[in-house]
Amino acid sequence: MLENYFPVLMFIAVGLVLGGVLLAVGRILAPHKPDPKKLSPYECGFEAFEDARMKFDVRYYLVAILFILFDLEIAFLFPWAVVIPDIGFFGYAAMMVFLAILVVGFVYEWKKGALEWE
Amino acid sequence: MNELVATLAGYSSAWFGPQWGPPVWVFVKTLVLILVITLPLFGCVAYLTLAERKIIGYMQVRIGPNRVGPAGLLQPIADAVKLMFKELIIPAGANKFLFVLAPMLTLMPALAAWAVIPFGPEVVLADVDAGLLYVMAITSMGVYGVIIAGWASNSTMGFALVCVLLVSQSLNLSDIVNGQARGRFAAEGLNFLSWNWLPLLPMFLVYFISAVAETNRAPFDVAEGESEIVAGFHVEYSGMTFAVFFLGEYANMILVSALATIMFLGGWLPPIDAPLLNAIPGFFWLVLKIGFLLFCFLWFRATFPRYRYDQIMRLGWKVFIPLTIVWLVLVAAWMQTPWNPWQ
Amino acid sequence: MGAPDIPPRGIEHELAERFDAGTLRAQATADRVPTFWVQPERLLEVLRYLKRDAPGPYPMLYDLSALDERTRVHRDGQPASDFTLVYQLVSFARNADLRLKVPLTGDAPSVPSATTLWPAANWYEREVWDLFGVRFAGHPHLRRILMAPTWQGHPLRKDHPARATEMGEYRLPADKELAEQEALRFRPEDWGMRRRTDASDFLFLNLGPNHPSVHGVFRIVLQLDGEEIVDAVPDIGYHHRGAEKMAERQSWHKFIPYTDRIDYLGGSMNNLPYLLAVERLAGIEVPDRAKVIRVMVCELFRIASHLVFYGTFAQDVGALSPVFFMFTDRERVFDIVEAITGGRMHPEWFRIGGVAQDLPRGWDALVREFVRYLPPRLRDYDRMVLRNRILQRRTRGIGAYTTAEAIEWGVTGPGLRACGCDWDLRKRRPYAGYDQFEFDVPLGRNGDSYDRCAVRAEEIRQSLRIVEQCLENMPQGDYKADHPLAAPPRKERTLHDIETLINHFLAASWGPVIPPGEAYAAVEATKGLTGYYLVSDGGTAPYRARIRTPSFPHLQMIPLICRGLMIPDLIAILGSIDFVMADVDR
Repeated sequence: MLENYFPVLMFIAVGLVLGGVLLAVGRILAPHKPDPKKLSPYECGFEAFEDARMKFDVRYYLVAILFILFDLEIAFLFPWAVVIPDIGFFGYAAMMVFLAILVVGFVYEWKKGALEWE
Repeated sequence: MNELVATLAGYSSAWFGPQWGPPVWVFVKTLVLILVITLPLFGCVAYLTLAERKIIGYMQVRIGPNRVGPAGLLQPIADAVKLMFKELIIPAGANKFLFVLAPMLTLMPALAAWAVIPFGPEVVLADVDAGLLYVMAITSMGVYGVIIAGWASNSTMGFALVCVLLVSQSLNLSDIVNGQARGRFAAEGLNFLSWNWLPLLPMFLVYFISAVAETNRAPFDVAEGESEIVAGFHVEYSGMTFAVFFLGEYANMILVSALATIMFLGGWLPPIDAPLLNAIPGFFWLVLKIGFLLFCFLWFRATFPRYRYDQIMRLGWKVFIPLTIVWLVLVAAWMQTPWNPWQ
Repeated sequence: MGAPDIPPRGIEHELAERFDAGTLRAQATADRVPTFWVQPERLLEVLRYLKRDAPGPYPMLYDLSALDERTRVHRDGQPASDFTLVYQLVSFARNADLRLKVPLTGDAPSVPSATTLWPAANWYEREVWDLFGVRFAGHPHLRRILMAPTWQGHPLRKDHPARATEMGEYRLPADKELAEQEALRFRPEDWGMRRRTDASDFLFLNLGPNHPSVHGVFRIVLQLDGEEIVDAVPDIGYHHRGAEKMAERQSWHKFIPYTDRIDYLGGSMNNLPYLLAVERLAGIEVPDRAKVIRVMVCELFRIASHLVFYGTFAQDVGALSPVFFMFTDRERVFDIVEAITGGRMHPEWFRIGGVAQDLPRGWDALVREFVRYLPPRLRDYDRMVLRNRILQRRTRGIGAYTTAEAIEWGVTGPGLRACGCDWDLRKRRPYAGYDQFEFDVPLGRNGDSYDRCAVRAEEIRQSLRIVEQCLENMPQGDYKADHPLAAPPRKERTLHDIETLINHFLAASWGPVIPPGEAYAAVEATKGLTGYYLVSDGGTAPYRARIRTPSFPHLQMIPLICRGLMIPDLIAILGSIDFVMADVDR
């Protein structure tokens, strides 16, 4: 059973290594002549005004939390969906309660305006 | 073929001894198989770019690339060679490690997910039971980096897939395909009407639209909007760092199309149960269906104006998520009734 | 639009009643626009009266410019002045213009700023300061606008060199380059902007001058709060080529090619206002055939320009394909233009008194084919662009202004008609024979980006109607006026004897000598009203050529209509304005 997952693990590793190899190819073959102007970040022909690493609006974090909640929710739904014929109406009802709690939170966030962008 | 494999496995045991031989053999075999998947995938990405330029070109009364090789067929090769010889520029002030890691992290999930994608009956690298869960988990990694507009679409895709699971009762991708060969229409030979796209049509549409959004493609390409932010973060990446990003994004497009094919369009199954069509290898049907979906990606790009950022957010969170949740509840309820078409 | 309470007599009577003769002095001009000299101390008072209190008021500050009078010879009866400011106002109720001239003396004159009356005076006053060195007291940001911030001198003064060879070799060593870059750095404090409030830090972002959506070299500095545009500062001048200065050293005839390049998408249509003004000064009557040829070529260029607009607007909103279709169709327009004129984008083909040549044989077949070809294509484009739901959502209600705002800021052309203001110069004050044509003036309702596009899309159809009427009713006759000042001179009048030979030589090398005077002429150009205010001092070249372009005030309005929106909205707005930078910077 678990040995089925060995190729998966290896594929992840190969995926990373391949990316690294490609970058290395570029590093080896391509010229490398940096100068201050080439390396300076720019905006439409001018030097950038200020560092782009600045404070983010709190809305981004609200949406980020919502996203993680839904992603987790889906992780729970996956196995539930697979076994639904076996767990019958009770299983269905249980998940509906679970979903309802999630939806309440979602509606609350909606009403609070966390999903508004203007 | 089997003899050849056995012979090779024998060599491995002979060279590395009975203790190390079999693991080395598994390692080498897996590595070769992975490369057999990824290298043609790279080729597909290369020629997908050419197809994109050609197809959109013809849609725009242009010819597209036609200088390198016959009918421009060598253009992707020329592009790849050019990118290899382009200087890698890492802007001063950028965190070098993160700057280089970002394209690799885009590429890795787009490749690694292929481990569980079945290319035909029994033709899959890792035939794991939780295949879909794995795909969802690994592709979720990809959306963290770029833009949160993709987040809603990622969740929407998840809900849409849960609906497929409800009717397939398996997380194994091969089983999901095989499940679509059953049904009332399939019994009459009209396979394509039994595929999940029809009974789950709203979910199929939502899934595909979300897939377009998640891969940052037009009309949801706000992260790379040419007229607004001049290709966005692509501006800062040059040479192979850009190429790796590009590979990752296009491999992702192929991946979501493959997934849509498997989940909704019957994977490698022929559309009609006819001897002539059954004689054609399943792999051909799979590629054909993926190709059709990819064509839609290009078609959208040539057709639609771009949504604004907040409009995508609204579409994702306020339309698709409620829609998919309601549909999920309905399908699950439907499964409880005697009129369940999937029994 | 005529309001009932306007007395039938002219504004001069109202002004005479209200102000004494010491304040206002009338001057006769070749264009018969009521022109008054007003002393700088009373200027604001007169402007305020004209804008607010006069019956049939003049709500639009249409143009504000200046001329250096110090070397001018023919100033009969005009008050003493070294530098003269020229204000041109428009009254929609009267359908009339009014010109105010302010005499200024000394090397560093100063007048009170009109920015309190008209926000649109801001850029005009900066331009006058930049090019003439006239100060405007009370102006919020009196700094250079067209020239580089490091420029020495005021170029439109007569003592400022006009040629590179008069200025010494240009070098750009590293330290100078750094200094120039530094001078262009944007400092929010200079514009009265705060870097942060208690609630948030603002992000300042350069959009342009190198950006695909600013349609040339145009820079907008944005003050952003998250995604939202708090304020914007447009920065122009990167495309300034000194067209007005060049006019002062070209002959009247040789300046025609420079006009083609002002609104470079408008081609020959740019020649028309210049030539109308010259012809007014010279008293030339253009023959009917030449008039109709001019109208036809102008309308073909309007179609070409609007097609470019239509496609690039769609592209700015993210639709990649329409621009290719529309450029292909524009090529067809150019094929006709090429057959008629020999040129394509800039045929420089109109002449003083008419056009360069008669129409070639077979022109009618080309035009007829095009008139049949385009309408079905336009229907496709409407389906592709205007009726696309995404585009509608992206542009409806975005960048909207009211008719009152448009007039306040000097908006003309499709941008004004998109608010529902029925003001097309071809209908209101028919010039060049437009009264002979039947066409409708398309109007919008909301004054937003979508309506600006819809108005232009419909204008293409109306232009096709006009072209078709030209095709069916092309009069016979001369293609150029039989007038001694029409240039170049007619061949049959030359090469007979030494007298005609010398005449021809002078007329061809110096060009005509236009009688002294002042005249203004405007046309409904592709992007709004383009006007030329020409001053002749009885020479072979204009003493002063003021080019009033529509895009200049349109860009000045951008901050007003983009506040509170997001960057993609700003891009849609920029696309909907339909400007080219040469039309702004000249």
